[in-house]
Parts: sequence; structure tokens; C-alpha cells
Amino acid sequence: MTAPAETAQPRAGLSSTAKLLLMLVLGAAVAVALGVYANQHTPTGRKPYPLFFSGMIQLKVWFATLAVALACVQLLLAARLYGKISIPKTAPAWLGDAHRLTGTLTFAVTLPVAYQCLWGLGFETTNTRVVLHGIFGCAFYGAFVIKVLGVRLKGLPNWVLPMAGGLVFAVLVGVFLTSSVWFFTSSGQALV
Amino acid sequence: MFRRVVNVAEALVALGAVAFVILLFANNPGGVAGSGSVGSELFAANCASCHGADGSGGIGPPLSGGRVLRNFPNEPDEVTFVANGRGIMPGFATALTPAQLKAVVDYTRTGLAK
Repeated sequence: MTAPAETAQPRAGLSSTAKLLLMLVLGAAVAVALGVYANQHTPTGRKPYPLFFSGMIQLKVWFATLAVALACVQLLLAARLYGKISIPKTAPAWLGDAHRLTGTLTFAVTLPVAYQCLWGLGFETTNTRVVLHGIFGCAFYGAFVIKVLGVRLKGLPNWVLPMAGGLVFAVLVGVFLTSSVWFFTSSGQALV
Repeated sequence: MFRRVVNVAEALVALGAVAFVILLFANNPGGVAGSGSVGSELFAANCASCHGADGSGGIGPPLSGGRVLRNFPNEPDEVTFVANGRGIMPGFATALTPAQLKAVVDYTRTGLAK
């Protein structure tokens, strides 16, 4: 009796544990690098592109809100892909692509916000909310790197991708709570 | 067709991410707060996000053009205000030392007064 070829001759390459470690290290490196940049860079204090908003903070909180809304859509699409919800009854063929697109758009929407935070403001320690916001903001991009690597790397355990996606979503909600929710409820500033 | 659109969107956003990183390092405006004295550096790091790089205002009220001197004729009153904060304005007593508080207040009274 001969063993299957794949068992007899294991494929060369990284083990799933090594891939997981690589994902975590790269994700942490990105988050830490952004934090170091924000801390070391002298904030410009500039407001480069308020667009049609009355100020940069208004643009940022609305873009962050849009990012969370898109992330919620992506979460629902993921839940359908994994069979956690059954609406619609028959999953359309484009569901996976729609999940990718909403994730891409979510990331895109965060970039102008992060740029103004990192370039214009830097890492501030004025109060607990501001510190948490900075940590969540840097962690979001680290978690995003982990998620993207989780999609690209093959041979990972099945739980990795939903876990990574959940991490990205949770951190984004943290960013949202410490910025948009605070702004809408406590800042007393013009909303748009 | 839809997959192709998604692939193009991903490629464009990846380019945007690269531009994001490049601009973080390459976009270095001149003449902003933070390029001179200790007070201006502290102002850039702690105050400019709300009051604007040149003190022209933002979330917080404008400070330039002598407004600070009109609101706080006595410097110690302004130091106390910055240290303790009021309303949306956070206090900086724990974030800055007394010397730093004085430096940043001096900057608002002289560097932003023009």
C-alpha cells in the first residue's frame, strides 16, 4: 500500500504556523511603523483637503462613518459567504467579488483620513480618547495587512480569514467610536 | 466583467496606498508652525490641530492677529487657562511641563501676534 503522493513528498514552503507568524509580524510592523511616524514626524497642522466640508475634522468623521458603513456591508457579505445567514437563499456568484470590492472601498475611504491624522496632527496624548484613537488608527492598518495576507497566502487554517476580518472590523469600530461618535455626540462642532 | 472591475479597483487603491506612504514623507510644507522656537514646536504638536498651523482657527477659535493679547492681557491668566482647559479645550497641565506651558503661551502672544 502506498501513501498518496502529497503525503509521501510534502510540498516545500512555509508551514501554516510560519505563515501565521509572518502575517502577525508584518501586521505589527506596519502598525508600529505608522505609530513611530506619527510620533516622530513634526505635525504640519495643515488641513489639506476639506472638500465641501467646513473643516478637516468634519471630512474625517464622515469618511470614517462611511468606512464603518461599508465595513458593515462587507461583514454581512462575509456572513452570507460563510453560510451564517441565509439571505438571499441562493448566494449569487458575484458575492465574493462584492465582498472584495466593499473591503477595497473601505480601505480607500480611510486613506485621506489617515493621511490628515498622521501628516497634519501626529500622535497626540491630550487625553485617553485621543490616545486610544491613535492606537486604533495604527492598529487598523496592521490588521488590514494581516487580513490581506490571510487572503493571499494559501494553506492557512480555515479560522484565520474570518478571525482576521473580524479583527479589522473591530479595530475600525474602535477608530469610529473614538472619533466620529465622540464628534457627533460631544464636540459641539458643526456637523458638516 | 464585475471581477475585472474589482481587480481594477484593487489596483487603483493599491496605487493610492503607495502614494499615501510617499506623500507622508515627501510632502513637507515650508513655513509652518513647528519650524522654529520651542514654543512654535510645542504649538505645532499640541495646538495647531485645533487652532490651525498659523493660529487662524479650526475646531478651536483663531489665536492670531493679537486676539490672545486682547483675551488675556495678563500672561499668567493664559497659562492657567491652557493648563486647566475649559469646555472643549483640553487642559495641558499633565501633557506639558510649566516651562513648556510658558513657552507655548509666549509663542501665542508673540509668534502669532502679527
